[in-house]
Amino acid sequence: MLKSKDTIFDGLYSFGVSRRNFIKFCASMSATLALSSSAVPQIVEALEKKKKPYAIWLHFQECTGDTESILRASKPSIAQIVLDIVSLEYHETIMAGSGHAAEKALHDVVKNQKAKYIAIVEGSIPIKDGGIYCTIGGRTALDIANEVCGNAFVTLNVGSCSCWGGVSSAKPNPTGAVGIADAVSGIKYVNLPGCPVNAENITATIVHYLTFGTLPVLDRHNRPLFAYGKRIHDNCERRPHFDAGQFVRKWGDEGHRLGWCLYELGCKGPMAYKNCPTIKWNEGISYPIQAGHPCFACASNDSWDVFGPIYTRAPHVPGAGYQATADKIGAAVVAGTAAAVATHAAIRTFLGYKQKEKFAKEKDEADKIK
Amino acid sequence: MPKIVVDPVTRIEGHLRIEAIVEGGKIVDAWSSGTMWRGIENIVKGRDPREVWLILSRICGV
Repeated sequence: MLKSKDTIFDGLYSFGVSRRNFIKFCASMSATLALSSSAVPQIVEALEKKKKPYAIWLHFQECTGDTESILRASKPSIAQIVLDIVSLEYHETIMAGSGHAAEKALHDVVKNQKAKYIAIVEGSIPIKDGGIYCTIGGRTALDIANEVCGNAFVTLNVGSCSCWGGVSSAKPNPTGAVGIADAVSGIKYVNLPGCPVNAENITATIVHYLTFGTLPVLDRHNRPLFAYGKRIHDNCERRPHFDAGQFVRKWGDEGHRLGWCLYELGCKGPMAYKNCPTIKWNEGISYPIQAGHPCFACASNDSWDVFGPIYTRAPHVPGAGYQATADKIGAAVVAGTAAAVATHAAIRTFLGYKQKEKFAKEKDEADKIK
Repeated sequence: MPKIVVDPVTRIEGHLRIEAIVEGGKIVDAWSSGTMWRGIENIVKGRDPREVWLILSRICGV
């Protein structure tokens, strides 16, 4: 690990990241943050000049999937960038020290960098039975989170577990697992849910802070809007098939082979908010829907229980196949092509409006149940 | 008898604690404990078998 006096660019340069790749990285960060290209020079300048902030990465009830997400990431060499954009002082999976040496590194940062370091947390906190279901160095996860997150400048909850409990909190939630913000009160935090989190969203959040001195704009669940502001359904490349009523009915059927809509197989894309369709995974190669599996809203609160069953069709999604219906009605009502198009548009708008109303009502009811 | 405790053991997935009793430079007794439990077996009980793989694959993400 590099000394924190180094600037971010110095660190990257010493790892063999070229100037060209550095600029490319800054441009991709600007795009992920949905900023205009005029922000690129600002990002470049900030990363060239600013010192790296200290960071502590905590693991609680987790599977290390979020760490893997970062270590396996690239574009260009995001592994280096994430690990280098911050001065990572504590990370159980990759640090050299063990036992007392590891704990000392943690305490040094908490003591000497109070209210200046970033706490990145992976995994939920069990609060049942005094928190005995997760202990590190003889202390409970709750105790550690209170100390480390309570003294941090900001806590980044990476992955659904640290945001709201994730898979550990699925019914019957045997260990009383909760997200960090529910366990430690009064902290400043950003939720970056996903199972796992997308490394680019973590990096972009930190880059935003380093460049502009503020956290990105957050929604009511404390998620950055740049990453969680858009519905997967609205950016899905299978969307035209949804509108046209072309659905995969069975695994491996003709529609599945042709890349039709996965809604009937249980896709929760119409209820899920995340930038999966645009930034994707594995260096932008693919993401679950593109690979032919329905989205199960991994980044949504209580996705395992509220959004399930995973392979059952979500009820009453507005607009399923109404384009085909409108075509049929249009053809029957009028003969002329122009008239058919006009009718089609009118019916589409009307149905869309009715369905939207219905969907909003259902969503409100679902929120109440939660 | 000096007891050595290494907790956390790093560079692994999950949480591990090792305790060892040392006598005359030799380890005579040792214990290892996984110090995190989520009860995933209880979570999958009664669920649709088709979605169990999605939950169990989250035991370890490495």
